[in-house]
Amino acid sequence: MHPIDLAIVVAYVALITSVGIRFSQRIKTAKDFFLAGRSLTWWVIGLSIIGTNVDTNGYIGASGNAYSIGIAQANFEWIGAIPAMIIAALIFIPLYWRAGVYSIPEYLGLRYNAAVRVVSAAIVVVVSVFAMGIAMWALAVTLQTFIGWPIWLGILVSGTVVGLYSIAGGLAAVAITDSIQVCIMFVCGLIIVGIGISDAGGADSFASKLLAENPTHLSAYLPADHEGYPWHGVILGLGLVLSPAYWVGSQAILQRTLGAKTQWDASAGMMFAALAKTFVPLLIIFPGLLALVMVADIEYPDMALPWVIKNVLPVGVSGLMFVAIIAALQSSIDSSINSTALIITRDIRHVLMKNHNPEADLVIGRMLTLGLLLCAMGIAPFIGDLGGIFNFLQFLLSLFQGPLLALLLLGALTQRATASAGIITLASGVVLAGLLSWVLDMNLLFVAFFSFCYAVVALWTISGFTQPHSQEHLRNLSYSPWRDR
Amino acid sequence: MELPVFWANYISVALFVLLGCGVWSIPKSAVVPKEYAHARWRDLRWWATGLIVLQILLYAFFS
Repeated sequence: MHPIDLAIVVAYVALITSVGIRFSQRIKTAKDFFLAGRSLTWWVIGLSIIGTNVDTNGYIGASGNAYSIGIAQANFEWIGAIPAMIIAALIFIPLYWRAGVYSIPEYLGLRYNAAVRVVSAAIVVVVSVFAMGIAMWALAVTLQTFIGWPIWLGILVSGTVVGLYSIAGGLAAVAITDSIQVCIMFVCGLIIVGIGISDAGGADSFASKLLAENPTHLSAYLPADHEGYPWHGVILGLGLVLSPAYWVGSQAILQRTLGAKTQWDASAGMMFAALAKTFVPLLIIFPGLLALVMVADIEYPDMALPWVIKNVLPVGVSGLMFVAIIAALQSSIDSSINSTALIITRDIRHVLMKNHNPEADLVIGRMLTLGLLLCAMGIAPFIGDLGGIFNFLQFLLSLFQGPLLALLLLGALTQRATASAGIITLASGVVLAGLLSWVLDMNLLFVAFFSFCYAVVALWTISGFTQPHSQEHLRNLSYSPWRDR
Repeated sequence: MELPVFWANYISVALFVLLGCGVWSIPKSAVVPKEYAHARWRDLRWWATGLIVLQILLYAFFS
């Protein structure tokens, strides 16, 4: 690595760490730690949401996918995000604010029962720990690739940096550092677009070179018989189920909206994130297309972005881009650690330990943050061997998405859904999703869609035969902007 | 029989138009607090409309 690039990396690490430690002085209670003392403004929330959302898969994997399938990869940022983000901003964020909850499992617990709360919390925790391990490993591999550090050193250094500001500063530090990280990502993305189009001889020339060998690479959708991303599967599975399940139900994403200083800031933050999300393909799709146009000599698609950094970017900018990748990984790890610590502290400990002491939440939250970080650092070196397990966990999570979305939607928008129907629907919906996947070997996009349709019908029907909560109990737990003002 | 792939763009545009109708059916009082009622830029329905128009343009362009 060139000394100028190395200086940029060192400056970045110093900046992020000092920001995090500065915020540590403001932490007095668990609310300060987990919800930033409800002090975040809309633009910080928006940038932090994008920082949390763009991770390893989003950066390196999406560039590789764009190299293979073209602009269709952008559906994950457009129809696979924007409608759900608008719905989250206008309906679900106001609902969570009215309910006064710290987490999505807490909302599910209040709306249904403690069993739904603990099950949903446990799923999030297990998947998050392994996802953090993956991200930590990817970070170490990136450091090894660019500056030659052994894996263990990369894990130790990156874990220490993330730990310093996450444990000390809580959500406020995480959100502010996320915002800085996203700004760096966008600056780098725009530089790559500028250099790439200039080298290709202009936008028209870029498009004609790309389409000459890859005629479908500027088409938003792929044919219905495409194995991975058939267009009807993308609209039904991604657009109507997986995306809403993520944007209205992900604790890591929504926690910063619960830490907003007003409900308007929370909703506006999600809207601002949607605007930024629209332009995320410039960061993560364009490098893949650029590698194609420049006829990159790479062994497999995921090498597209590293190739662009190494062969296209000048000294200084490549250091900044390297920082952007580290930033993308760090912002996902820090958010996961903070939200997972919150879920264990409140949604598992508070429910299972009847005599818990809420005053101890801050200390326990910080200890859990450290413990989760150490877990992720401990798992990270073995991720290569655990690949099968991680795929299984991802698969497990996908089984819950459809039924959980049905519980959230009907629970939020109607007063009909009952506690008994909720737990029966969750259990049977997961079994159905498993059968569709294992027995019929169905594409996961369609598994999500059909398990969601089943769960909506089952929840609605079973609720007709089971005991509902009182209207008084549901007053702040269901919400319709058309009905409640 | 399967619909041609360009129908996906039409369906996407239709879904975004439908979403826009849903957004504007929400009363202003539900999205703008009373203290901000005089500031039009605080009306999140306009933010949503801008996003929806942007999406429709993208799906029209990449068809």
